[in-house]
Amino acid sequence: MSVPHIGLYYFGALSLVLVGIYGVLVKKNLLKILISLSIVETGVNLLLISVGYITGRSAPILSEGIGPKQAVDPIPQALVLTAIVIGVATTAMALSVAITLYEKYGTLNIEEIRRLRG
Amino acid sequence: MNGQYASLLVALPLISAFFVPLIKGLGGRAIKYYLTLITALQAGVAAWVFKTVYTTGKPIIVMAGGWRPPVGIDLYIGHFAALFVLIVALVSFFMAIFSFDSVSTEPTDKYAMLFLLLMLGATGMIATGDIFNLFVFMEITSITAYALTAYNKTGEAAEAAMKYIVLGGIGSSFFLIGIALIYGSTGTLNMAQLAQLAGSINPTVIKVGLSLLVFGLAVEAELFPLNAWAPDAYQAAPHPVTAMFSAFVVKAGLYALARLVYLFSHAAGWDFILKLLVIMATLTVFAAEFSALRQRDVKRMIAYSSISQVGLIALALSVGSQLGVQAGVFHMINHAVVKTLLFLTVGYVGVKVGGTGIENFSGLGRKMPLTAFALTVGALAAVGIPLFNIFWSKVWIIIASIEQGYAWEAGVVLAASVVEAVYYLRLIHTMWFGGWDGIRIRESLPLGTIALFLVLLILAIGVYPNPFWTLAKSAGTDIFNVSRYIANVPLMGVGP
Repeated sequence: MSVPHIGLYYFGALSLVLVGIYGVLVKKNLLKILISLSIVETGVNLLLISVGYITGRSAPILSEGIGPKQAVDPIPQALVLTAIVIGVATTAMALSVAITLYEKYGTLNIEEIRRLRG
Repeated sequence: MNGQYASLLVALPLISAFFVPLIKGLGGRAIKYYLTLITALQAGVAAWVFKTVYTTGKPIIVMAGGWRPPVGIDLYIGHFAALFVLIVALVSFFMAIFSFDSVSTEPTDKYAMLFLLLMLGATGMIATGDIFNLFVFMEITSITAYALTAYNKTGEAAEAAMKYIVLGGIGSSFFLIGIALIYGSTGTLNMAQLAQLAGSINPTVIKVGLSLLVFGLAVEAELFPLNAWAPDAYQAAPHPVTAMFSAFVVKAGLYALARLVYLFSHAAGWDFILKLLVIMATLTVFAAEFSALRQRDVKRMIAYSSISQVGLIALALSVGSQLGVQAGVFHMINHAVVKTLLFLTVGYVGVKVGGTGIENFSGLGRKMPLTAFALTVGALAAVGIPLFNIFWSKVWIIIASIEQGYAWEAGVVLAASVVEAVYYLRLIHTMWFGGWDGIRIRESLPLGTIALFLVLLILAIGVYPNPFWTLAKSAGTDIFNVSRYIANVPLMGVGP
């Protein structure tokens, strides 16, 4: 399988991170902010995977014909599995808080959710 | 006993947290007794670890699954971790007792679970010797902290939790990018091995990677400009949780920050990170003190004061000398004692009088004399008056920063202390000379005992600082002396 240059993966991952950060900073709707957070997380996970990529090797799954010499670095993949689980937990937590916010304030616009200040 | 038993520090709260649903059937009070029991056990284990580490003078290295680092993940319980794991456990124990009076919102079983997991996360962050494991513990801490912030189920609580989640989410992503960059250039996640390889990393990677790690941790460590969540969360969270945030959650973040920064002290481009941290710390102190000045809510005011003290600790940790780190650790100890006392008493007033606005504190000296006395001692200590503990650590921090040529920053810190005196004296004045509505409130015995214990500790450190300074010195050396850290971890014969 021929793959493009590794720099392309870094570029793609980092642009996802930047798109996500842009969303968090600019969007007014809480749900859009949370989606942007998930996009940031996805970008970071892709970056981690590309860091461990070695050209021409396959996924580090123990199976017929794939030894340590044919697989990419497995550690980033383990890290990403953990990071995905953590990301899901954060998103679930955030969504449940968003439900409470909608019940109490009747809106998801962050400009109207401002009782605490100073 | 075998040092591997120290893994109980992480295992005990984790297992106990998942036994809470079984206790639930016995009723709400049983859960709180269970919480008190587990935190007391944890304090016992921590005291044993503390005694072992300080009598033998050697750190305990726990190797998960018997694999030697860097293949296995290790827990490194050195002088610093042993001391702070004990502080975490003791503060949790006190706050478990305080939870009897102050937490009545259902479901208390979820509260107990989150409480134990928060303790676990902070303990793990302090004890771990692996950078990704640090990330996992940081996420355990922050996810439970989000949930506990939102626990009161009011609109304000949800709002504060949401701010915390968004900032925390961005912070953890930054941290993970930092890990990716550093792993990409060293091929290891073990902290000791990272320190060994630090000199060989490209300076640009170090600058970018370490800045990202610093920004990620700055959310937990409440450094400007990533601390906007903190006052809201402190105000909205249940009272015991606020004390825990201030006493050890932020300390775990600060410790992780200092540990990571000093691990890379041999790397090129390291000075850049220190300068960045000094600027962030000074701005934290400055912004927080002036925000505290205009608060009408005492809990929020003390939250801002806590943030400014955290900035002071960060300044001490980032001046880059051994004395600075030691002073920072000493201030961490003092800050944990003082802020636990302040949030305990303020929270108790909030429970008994029905609010933490400044008007609720009017005439407190006659309404709840013991609480008012403890709060006064705490406030005077926080200002940094001689004979109270924070005086000594502030003096050491200022000496350390001037010694390293940061005179201007030391001046800012001194000026901020004057501002701090203004609002604390205003609070003391309201308590003792404000109008009294004639109601005398009975104070609870266990909480009075805890408050008096903390008051005595403040005075003891204030009058006899030397034993505590010795503790702080060995704990600070543990962070600063990276070569000893590397030598202590039995790496499997890899590296240069």
